[in-house]
Amino acid sequence: MVLGELELVQRSLEGDLEAWGEIVRRYKEAVFGVALAILRNRADAEDATQEAFIRAYERLHYYDLSRKFSTWLFTVTANVAKNMLRKRRRPDPQPPPDRIPDPAEVVWKEELHQAVKEAVWSLPESYRAPLILRYWHEMDLAEIAQVLGLRVGTVKTRLHRGRALVRMHLAEQGVIHDVVQ
Amino acid sequence: MMWSSDLEERIREVLAQEAEAAREGLEGLEERVMRAIAQRAARPSLWRRLKERWGLGFSPRWALAGAASLALILGFVLGRMFAPSPLPLSAQAGTLFAVVNPQAHSVAVMGDFSAWQPIPLSDPDGDGIWTAVLDLPPGRYEYAFLVDGKWVGQDPQADEYVRSFGEYASVRYVGTGGGA
Repeated sequence: MVLGELELVQRSLEGDLEAWGEIVRRYKEAVFGVALAILRNRADAEDATQEAFIRAYERLHYYDLSRKFSTWLFTVTANVAKNMLRKRRRPDPQPPPDRIPDPAEVVWKEELHQAVKEAVWSLPESYRAPLILRYWHEMDLAEIAQVLGLRVGTVKTRLHRGRALVRMHLAEQGVIHDVVQ
Repeated sequence: MMWSSDLEERIREVLAQEAEAAREGLEGLEERVMRAIAQRAARPSLWRRLKERWGLGFSPRWALAGAASLALILGFVLGRMFAPSPLPLSAQAGTLFAVVNPQAHSVAVMGDFSAWQPIPLSDPDGDGIWTAVLDLPPGRYEYAFLVDGKWVGQDPQADEYVRSFGEYASVRYVGTGGGA
């Protein structure tokens, strides 16, 4: 029998760890995405993902059952990731390349993909996080604002600026048409 | 070259690839989370136990400063009250878990087989050898001991050890002929 989310949460509140394990299974990729949007480093994002689920379980009695669970969970995740970012002593790292490209294999589509990837991940965290929550998680502006602790107007501004910065980066690489300066 | 109107689709493709690449690193996360939660629950701070039992909402500094001796007494009482009750153990041949510790007052084992809830070991003759026999289906099990509430992750009888989130845990292969 597939349990509904509300029932899983209620069972978790009663101390059923396996119910919480099911919540983890359902949300781990999405939570990882939120953490990665802020931390940009895959290993740190994995640690933050684990810590976020532990923290959320410990604070589950604060969750308002009338609210959307995913938004609450993503908010906990964003707070965990931001704390890690603050504590991180080394500079915000570049994500490691997936592979060293063989020059013989590089085609224009792969170059384009790498250029877009580099442009997105090189954004400062304040622009990167809203952009990734929008395009990875398809969150609406209100939800992004809630998760990141921002006003909706601020989210809108940062999305526009983030997209503009990505376009400018790609224009410098010579991979995009019709950029209005 | 691409058009500006294609940019959003390209960003989505890049992020979808990140999601795919992340799947391997997230394998087994459910078990790691449950283990970490069980580990933390096994070593609650005195303040946390007081807060959970009495529903206290004020600053821990104030409470500890004002009632240190009362907190110690309550902590002792709460520890006795919340000791896990023994689970029925199979009388058939099963998997033996043993800890040799004559100084210990309580020993438990927890792992994948118990959703990381502690199962008490017993030392009926008081010789310092704590044991429990669990009837486990064949498979791979990660586990650790709690000795007087302290995490002990490395069992000399284990087939191997794993380390995650700063702590060791032991691994047993039951009925499978050993590890990979």
